[in-house]
Amino acid sequence: MTNRTPKPIPERFIVKPATLWFDRFMNHFIKVGGLSIIVAVSLIFVFILIQIIPLFRGARVAPDRTMPIPADDYIALGSDEWSELPFFLTADGALRFVDTTDLPEPYHRGIFTRQAGIAQVADVTAVEFNPYASHLVLGSNDGRFSIVDVVYRATHPPRGGREVQVTLEETPPLRIGREGHPLRIVAYGDRGARKLLAAAQWVDERYELHAASLTQRQTLMGAGELSVEQTFDLTEHIDRRPAFLLVPPDADGVVIGQDDGVVRYVHFDGRRFTLRQIFEPFADLDDPRIASMHFLLGDVSLVFTAHNGAQRVFSLFRDPDKDMRIWGHTKTFPDLPGPATFFSAAMRNKGFLTGRERFATLRYSTTENIRWEQELPFDVHLAEIGPRYNRLLFLDTEHQLHFYDLHDPHPQAGWRTYFGKIQYEGRAEAEYSWQSTGGRDDFERKLSLVPLIIGTLKGTLYAMIFALPIALLAAIYTSQFLKPEIKRYVKPTMEIMASLPSVVLGFLAALWLAPIMSNAVPSVILATTFVIASAFGVGFVWGRLPRRIRMRLKPGYEFIAFVPVMALVAYLGWRLGPVVENAFFVVTDPDTGLRIADFRMWYPRATGLSFEQRNAFVVGFVMGFAVIPIIYTITEDALSNVPDAFRSGSLALGASRWQTAVRIVLPTASAGIFSAVMIGLGRAVGETMIVVMATGNTPVTHLNPFTGMRTLSANIAVELPEAPYLGTLYRTLFLGAMVLFLMTFVVNTLAEIMRQHLRERYKAVE
Amino acid sequence: MPPTHSRSVQGETRDMTTPPTSAIEAQRRPKVEPRSEKSKPTGNPEHIRIADYSFYYGMSQALHTIDLAIPERQATALIGPSGCGKSTLLRNINRMNDLIDGIRHEGDITIAGESIYDPFLEVISLRKRIGMVFQKSNPFPKTIYENIVYSLRVAGRNKKSELDETVETSLKAAALWEEVKDRLNQSAFSLSGGQMQRLCIARAIANRPEILLMDEPCSALDPIATGKIEDLIHELKREYTIIIVTHNMQQAARVSDRTAFLYMGKLIEYDETEKIFMDPADPQTEAYVSGRFG
Repeated sequence: MTNRTPKPIPERFIVKPATLWFDRFMNHFIKVGGLSIIVAVSLIFVFILIQIIPLFRGARVAPDRTMPIPADDYIALGSDEWSELPFFLTADGALRFVDTTDLPEPYHRGIFTRQAGIAQVADVTAVEFNPYASHLVLGSNDGRFSIVDVVYRATHPPRGGREVQVTLEETPPLRIGREGHPLRIVAYGDRGARKLLAAAQWVDERYELHAASLTQRQTLMGAGELSVEQTFDLTEHIDRRPAFLLVPPDADGVVIGQDDGVVRYVHFDGRRFTLRQIFEPFADLDDPRIASMHFLLGDVSLVFTAHNGAQRVFSLFRDPDKDMRIWGHTKTFPDLPGPATFFSAAMRNKGFLTGRERFATLRYSTTENIRWEQELPFDVHLAEIGPRYNRLLFLDTEHQLHFYDLHDPHPQAGWRTYFGKIQYEGRAEAEYSWQSTGGRDDFERKLSLVPLIIGTLKGTLYAMIFALPIALLAAIYTSQFLKPEIKRYVKPTMEIMASLPSVVLGFLAALWLAPIMSNAVPSVILATTFVIASAFGVGFVWGRLPRRIRMRLKPGYEFIAFVPVMALVAYLGWRLGPVVENAFFVVTDPDTGLRIADFRMWYPRATGLSFEQRNAFVVGFVMGFAVIPIIYTITEDALSNVPDAFRSGSLALGASRWQTAVRIVLPTASAGIFSAVMIGLGRAVGETMIVVMATGNTPVTHLNPFTGMRTLSANIAVELPEAPYLGTLYRTLFLGAMVLFLMTFVVNTLAEIMRQHLRERYKAVE
Repeated sequence: MPPTHSRSVQGETRDMTTPPTSAIEAQRRPKVEPRSEKSKPTGNPEHIRIADYSFYYGMSQALHTIDLAIPERQATALIGPSGCGKSTLLRNINRMNDLIDGIRHEGDITIAGESIYDPFLEVISLRKRIGMVFQKSNPFPKTIYENIVYSLRVAGRNKKSELDETVETSLKAAALWEEVKDRLNQSAFSLSGGQMQRLCIARAIANRPEILLMDEPCSALDPIATGKIEDLIHELKREYTIIIVTHNMQQAARVSDRTAFLYMGKLIEYDETEKIFMDPADPQTEAYVSGRFG
């Protein structure tokens, strides 16, 4: 190796290590920053996805344990909230309670039997059990009945844990129908003040139908004893043997399923019974007979099963023609293998467990969805959905009680719920509806996202109708016509508008603008129309003025002539509003006969649509106001960035300023304008505060400008405080967020593709 | 403060009953058959008359009492060092400088005796009369065809046959027809730099103006393309009055009949091109054309 001394590098050529180090650091730092943004957005997407995936899962059912039950002829199965002390009702009116806990001996209560009072004095011949109200109705062979409340109470004994205590609260045997004749079917409904009992009685080789309204005397000591207030003979309303009998808990009628497959609905208005409806659920089948008939939770839906296994749900809704509530076919389920042998309605939702022999299926009425279905390894005799909807109990024909764990946190969720038309209980037709909470536990939730999507689009549409023309024309005007020295002030002013917090705009819209606009709709419309018309009018007249007069205003200052005219016509339009209202928007008050000029009253009568103070009109106006600055600023930049060479070239060829703007500048800037519109659209779609405050948040599905709407974003803001963590509503709100995300994602992607295309087409020569 | 411009005498006293002679009035009456070489009057030695013309950008004076007459159907070159005001002068002839804020002028420019500042004259019709070719070629982001017919379309002339004919004659006049006749519907941006500039010339003459202003039309082009444009100018000056601003003295010598030398906003010398280059009267001109400054 030659010992060459390296030539020293002159200092001026040496790069400082700090410079290199810093350059490398910044390189990576920027990379990390950029990647983190992508990762963060992806994580948000993944997080939302994780939140909504459980909505689309079916129920999971897993066997838990099995225990033997003393052999007997059981006809009903009921349980406490935790299924710790279920009972089995025998055909002769005995309740056999079974302790299913695994407590040690002194605490474990084993199996014990309670006898209803009526069973001790007569033979029980009819039984009805209502698991939701937890009461039994027992009918005897001598024409008496008794109502037995099975009252479960959770106590917390000193040993710790929980102990479920049970007591029976029963009425003494009460008389109905003819004395000494057996009751074969009983049904009972209880709605506080009104209680109704119906019974089919076997009298002299034929059936009679009787009903009794009951009252409960209030005493100082609390609720007193039940007593029969009045009895009714309903035999005239049936023409065949009644096979099923149900009384809705509203106690406003009796539903009788006859053995020929005909259902008769007898309505009770508190004093009289009237036959309201006769229908045949399986009229189209070869065998129209009904194999089973049960209420779902809420008791406004009936599940019928035919002998061939067909299963249909009928719901009570108001018939618009007859203006009364009648039963109508709303849902159809896949056939069972045969007539259902067991049935249990869930006590928390519209689900029900049914099946035949080994085949068991858990179905959900609202969505016509099968949550779970399985061939079990045993023949089912009785079944029950645990009151908490977390357990299934099956009693098989070998007297084994099977516990199954049920995990189905979102039974109602599914594509149909969110995006399909559903005929909800009490509604005459299928519809898209959002109503997440109701007054009662048995309320059927309506979770369609369609009204919210429509609301979002409606808000955006009205905002854009207002904002787009103003923002785009203003941008064209400032960039192409206005003198630069004025533009210096105009543009920052518009940008200040963008910095107005939307909560302030929403507040103004709701409390100040909405009342003014609803009071003076004709004025607002007239003033707007007049201003637009005056622009054309002034332009037309101006073009025809002698050049000597026009010369007085330099190009770019023409607005000085226009602004006073505009202000004047706007004022005139506003003033003319009431005159027009008096002339055209007059309604006659039907009560007083007075003629009132009021657009708010006229509009609903003329169009059949409603008028609300906080409406899409106001929102469009204010949200437009929020969107205008963004669209304006970006459009103006895009237009100003069009190379001057194009403008000069066009003007030099004898094109007017307007022709230059429209034919050359606009197409060249189209990519930028397109982005501006899309960014404005994105802002309008996601805008929350203004719509929350100024729309009334009614989830309507029509585009009437004088009603409000509920947007996806507003829905999240409004409902989130009421959505239990990880509940169906909670996850549904995330689904709404996802839909919003996808909507903007799709729109933005399309916009970007379109923008690239425009940019390619109109790119300026380098 | 002096008046912003002096009004032409004709403008004030014209008797409206006399037959229209000016081009301004010509544009008001219905179109007659297109001008042909034969029917054209012989060259007007004062087709464009720049009379004691001064021009200001705000406070700074860009042109100082320029006075020159430009003959019809000849090429006149404006030469001078950068910033001497030759482009400013050119852009004032079709009033392109109107777009700039805070401008003002004194004196007058007349075309065929008509003041371009006549209050009865629409600046748009003035520009229809004067074609302009810019330093950097500026075809619109449209097809070749649409670029050519732009001036016709903005005038509301959309007849297909007329447009087709204009495209062909203009492109032929700009010596571009053979190169692009098969791709008229392609983007103008698909052309080369020299072709684009010829396209801009074709576009400028599509409306058959009287005057063609060229603002350093070859400054961004290679020598071959420059040669083609110069040949073209020789052709075009048979029909148009051409004013060309150039930095390239050889070019001025090659293409122009007359040359004006401007320096510091003043007209130093204006004469036959040959005279300016061979025997300039002013020592400054001599210094400039011989390359001693500039």
